[in-house]
Amino acid sequence: MKKGQEKLGWLFASPYLVYSLIFFVIPLFGALFLSFTNWNLISPQYENVGFLNFIQAVKSPGVKAAFFVTYKFMIIFVPMVLIGSLVISLIINSLPRFKSFFSVGYFLPYLASGVATSVVVKGILSYNSALNVWLRNTWHLNIDWLGSQILAPLIIAVMISWKFMGYYSLILTSGLESIPGEVYEAAAIDGATGWIKFFKITLPLLYPAMFTVTILAVGLVFGIFTEPYVLTGGGPGFSTNTWQIEIYNQAFSKLNAGYGSAIAIIDSVVTFVTIIIVRKLLEIWGKSYGWE
Amino acid sequence: MKKIAKSILILLLAASLLAGCGTSTSQKNEASQTTKEKVITIDFWAAPNPPQQTFWKQMAEEYAKVNPYIKVNVSPMPESPTSEAGIQAALAGGNAPTISENISRGFAAQLVDSKALVPLDTMDGWNDIVKTRNMENTIQAWEFADGHQYVLPIYSNAMLFAWRIDILKQLGYNEPPKTYSQIIELGKKLKEKYPDKYLWANPDLIDSTWWKRWFDFFMLYDAASNGNKFIEGNNFVADDKAGVATLKFLEDMAKNKLILTQKATDPFETGISVWTTIGPWTFNTWKDKYPELKLNETYVLALPPVPDGMSTDNVKTFADTKGLVIYAQSSPEKQKAAMEFIKWVYSNPENDMKWFEITNLPPARDDVNTNEQFKNYLKDHPELQLYAESIPNAIPPIDNAKFNDIQTLIGQKAVNPVVAGQVDAQKAWDDMKKAIQGVLK
Repeated sequence: MKKGQEKLGWLFASPYLVYSLIFFVIPLFGALFLSFTNWNLISPQYENVGFLNFIQAVKSPGVKAAFFVTYKFMIIFVPMVLIGSLVISLIINSLPRFKSFFSVGYFLPYLASGVATSVVVKGILSYNSALNVWLRNTWHLNIDWLGSQILAPLIIAVMISWKFMGYYSLILTSGLESIPGEVYEAAAIDGATGWIKFFKITLPLLYPAMFTVTILAVGLVFGIFTEPYVLTGGGPGFSTNTWQIEIYNQAFSKLNAGYGSAIAIIDSVVTFVTIIIVRKLLEIWGKSYGWE
Repeated sequence: MKKIAKSILILLLAASLLAGCGTSTSQKNEASQTTKEKVITIDFWAAPNPPQQTFWKQMAEEYAKVNPYIKVNVSPMPESPTSEAGIQAALAGGNAPTISENISRGFAAQLVDSKALVPLDTMDGWNDIVKTRNMENTIQAWEFADGHQYVLPIYSNAMLFAWRIDILKQLGYNEPPKTYSQIIELGKKLKEKYPDKYLWANPDLIDSTWWKRWFDFFMLYDAASNGNKFIEGNNFVADDKAGVATLKFLEDMAKNKLILTQKATDPFETGISVWTTIGPWTFNTWKDKYPELKLNETYVLALPPVPDGMSTDNVKTFADTKGLVIYAQSSPEKQKAAMEFIKWVYSNPENDMKWFEITNLPPARDDVNTNEQFKNYLKDHPELQLYAESIPNAIPPIDNAKFNDIQTLIGQKAVNPVVAGQVDAQKAWDDMKKAIQGVLK
């Protein structure tokens, strides 16, 4: 590469690099520093507490809950959003016209405020909502939707899936559009029918897009905050207590910024390791089917 | 070598550009300061609700007329995600205002621990405020462990309970019950006649968020213990007998299925429940949304119930009370100006009257129930009468810097499991006490 081109490359990359430096690298080191102190960000006095914050975090029931709740959300949310976005993208891709119109339609929930949707869902699930009154009067069912340790995480996972399905379907739709029509034509000549085409052509060729969506969805689970915060506050009994809720409560509600930072560092390590594992598993799985 | 020279040149250029910006800004500031001649501008963060903002904006405008050298900029405090977090972020970033209101004693204790507040009693004019505002008794409860006063209480809501007297009358009651066993008895009658109704619809009872304990546990505990302190300094000094009795009452209500912990929309207003915690801010909402709710016709107000055998006169309750602080981060000149402004506001009882009219929140004064001005207002607003009368019986929140942990533990170890039927009252109290003592170490 010529020297001039190299400089041009740096010039184009510089906005992102500066952005990353300001909003990612500096805060990361700041958080790392904070995690070894008992500083609350405002007091003039603080001490270096070594690994005490990390030891305390590992033992804390809130952090333990956040760890397991995240995987619980992952098990429910990732398959749900993957299947949902795949179905949406298949429908959109098969439409003869107005593809963009429907794509935008499915994308809209992604733009909706998490607080607003949570408030609406809270209303729908309240004891005296039309749905619950109907369930009680017709079926004698009195369901405590958000008070149940099983239903509450499920409802939150459904809400987040609904929000992200349209967004992920855009990625999958572009993946579907990039599959050449000739491949399907050749398969049809060989006698392949609908499902065989789907499993033997669509899925393998869509694998890179599916891979991206899966990694994005796994990463997203570690950042869940608004919906459980508004709907359940992390309860009942820690059943929806995510990493972000725990970090928020410690750092901003209890002013334990040092301890909150230690939790954030643990969270980022867990996120990183989980994504690496999921990535490896997906690669192994893809290779075993010859999709890579 | 050339590369190094180039880099140095670029750095110098950037530095000179930045320095240029700095100079122009400071020059501008100096210029404006000179032209305005000693005009001191102070930032005042008002509570994030329209009535309180209206009041403080009005005060700032009126003050500008009598003192043009102090300008008070009133703006709502950031409330995302909470007003406490907004203040913390501002302090951390060095952008704290000069004054803010909406500060509870617990949060103030945290700020005091971080040396973020000015001890108001060390400033000129403090004694004048206490005297002219007639708050000598009220202010005593606000003294902090180090003997200083950091918060000027603005309002004091003696939290009350509301009863659906229209439904109670259908059950044969002409007034609400006052003791625990009377309430359980009423609950049983209610369930017999209306199986779908509940005594108390309150999902907060299974939520461990710290501030929710102000409006259930502390209301009942303050009444049961006759206002006995819960924490003193760094010691757990709560009345064990009263604490267990409070939890036993919740346990009994839960066992008799008198509590609805599912989230419901306006359960008291719609008659799903007959009992609720109520603050004076509710009346404005009712006026618009539920005009059919009328004092002494559909609802009545009452102090918290007490354990059987206890006197039902002069019952204590929790005081939802917040105040005003001056931040140590602002310059001494601004702090002094802030004090001048506060002194001016509270030198005239009419300003407290305006506050009462605009916000419905009883001013934290000793004479709300005796001063003619307030008495006349209360005559026209009978729903606020009991709030005013109960100010002397209202116990402010705990002033420990670990209030958040302590109140979270009251929820997690005591109130939540008792209501969920997981532990009995005695065990819950013991578990909670042990956990709180661990935090206070």
